[in-house]
Amino acid sequence: MFRRKMRTALCVIGLVLATSFVIAVGAATMRYTTVIKEISVLFNGQVMVVSNGTIVIQAVPIGGSMLPQAFTEERIQGMAGVEKTIPILFVTPIGIGGIIQPVPVNFSMGIPVEFWHVILGPTPLRGNHGHFPSNESSNEIAVGTSLADEHGWTVGTRITVNSHELKIVGVLNTRLALLNRCVIMPLKLAQEVYNYLGSVNIIAVKPIQGYSQKNLAEAITQKISYVTALTEDERNDMIQPVLSQVETWNLGLHTAIFLMSLILVMTVTIMSVSERRRDFATLEAIGAPLGYIFRIVILESSLIGALGGGLGLVFGSLGALVLASLYTNIPLTQFFPSIFEVVPPLYMAGMFLAVVFVCCLGGIIPAINATRMRIAEVLRAEY
Amino acid sequence: MKIKAEDLTRVFRVGSCEITAVDKASFEVSKPAFIAIIGRSGSGKSTLLNLVGLNDCPTSGKILCDDTDVSLLSGSERRKIRLLQMGFIFQTFNLLPTLNALENVELPMALADKPQKDQMEKATSLLETVGLGKRLLHRPKQLSIGEMQRVAIARAMANDPEVIIADEPTAELDSRTAKEIIALLFDISRKGKMVIVATHDEKLVDAADVVYTIEDGKLRIVG
Repeated sequence: MFRRKMRTALCVIGLVLATSFVIAVGAATMRYTTVIKEISVLFNGQVMVVSNGTIVIQAVPIGGSMLPQAFTEERIQGMAGVEKTIPILFVTPIGIGGIIQPVPVNFSMGIPVEFWHVILGPTPLRGNHGHFPSNESSNEIAVGTSLADEHGWTVGTRITVNSHELKIVGVLNTRLALLNRCVIMPLKLAQEVYNYLGSVNIIAVKPIQGYSQKNLAEAITQKISYVTALTEDERNDMIQPVLSQVETWNLGLHTAIFLMSLILVMTVTIMSVSERRRDFATLEAIGAPLGYIFRIVILESSLIGALGGGLGLVFGSLGALVLASLYTNIPLTQFFPSIFEVVPPLYMAGMFLAVVFVCCLGGIIPAINATRMRIAEVLRAEY
Repeated sequence: MKIKAEDLTRVFRVGSCEITAVDKASFEVSKPAFIAIIGRSGSGKSTLLNLVGLNDCPTSGKILCDDTDVSLLSGSERRKIRLLQMGFIFQTFNLLPTLNALENVELPMALADKPQKDQMEKATSLLETVGLGKRLLHRPKQLSIGEMQRVAIARAMANDPEVIIADEPTAELDSRTAKEIIALLFDISRKGKMVIVATHDEKLVDAADVVYTIEDGKLRIVG
């Protein structure tokens, strides 16, 4: 009995470790693919223009040189099929720690105020306090909730970036991971603060209704030699293989871990059933239906799964928070209130059910063994 | 319940060797009685009881329960007979270690889908009958060997079966406890049950109404 308890406990610990690992890695991976997909949504249907050699992750330019804003915009606007252009300055990071870190650690975005709705949509300000800055503002900025919470910023807080004193006039109340970690300010102010006067690193071009993105992008690339124009499909094509690969590895990891869990549970349950052959034979001898014996074994393996899955869910979620914190340098405590954003409840429920299901599967062969005992032989052998 | 065996044979194959554990055994029991089957260890007593208790199938021959050839019954029908018409007492008691005495006795009733309240009342009453009224919630490992066998007897009686099959019920017990168990089994037979006991305990033989001997698988009536 003690050995059986010990073995079951070890099996549960194994499941806890496996589930924790899968959830921590799965949730962390999912968070980053979600952020990338969110960026894509923000610039749906637009052509993104960057300088040659710039890497574009959906709509975020990485590296490359700056574009002369007025000159480039003027040339693009003179082309057929252009409804409007939105010049944007992305700066990563804002300077805290002074290390360039990937999104979503934090980043600044300068964009003319009249186009903020393109990025923010209907995003309200937290507690309806404050206001959005005006184009003419010389120091007013808005920040994402996560960034504000991390640094204790509220409406009215003044921060210094590159020797410029900036005043926070609004905290964005958003669930989008990207916006949560952003400092958004009028384009002119951003250009001044970051010393990119008259320059931007990306221009979003909205084609007129019905005009082909592809034709517009080709025309821009042909007409302006120093830029690359990318359609939505092209941007997706660039990032999709990476996302697909990440998702494939993630799926492979899940499958491998679940397979190992299945083998672990099956082995432990087979041993448990073989040690209790007399109990099962007795049950059969006194007339228990085979379905009853089958259910006992399946229920036992499911309980192991529920226990391992439940604990694994707790530890895995904590692990996902730790990973997110390590990767972004955002304090762990700040992730606690938004644990369900890092590990979505649906993912938690899915993982829990998957572990229980895998354990159920692991119980099937032992359960069949338990129902196929030759009662007379087992009872005689046990004497 | 009437049980009739006709030329019952059970052969076990161990590699190329064949062992005839029961060899053309025939008998018929039709009324409540205390029946003892005696024989040395390995003579075929347990095999015969397993055949009679529908826990095993004969290599040849027939067992008729109330004139029905049980070899023609499906597994679930045989199981139903075991559950509702037969009670089993094993040499090593075979109580489920994770259940307490009350739950062990309730188990056959639960399997027969009897109402929870009836299960509890009947199990309590049976355990009181076998002298374990104060041990209802004790698990097997908290009971003495004699008490475990009493719980096993109560469990065998749970569904009020017509036949009680006991395989060496006193083999593990000291003489005083064995005596008490024999008395219990005798009482059961006097209450209108057919009690079939495989044993080499002479006290049990003395109490029996009918005695069979089995030697090298061959069954003979001796009295």
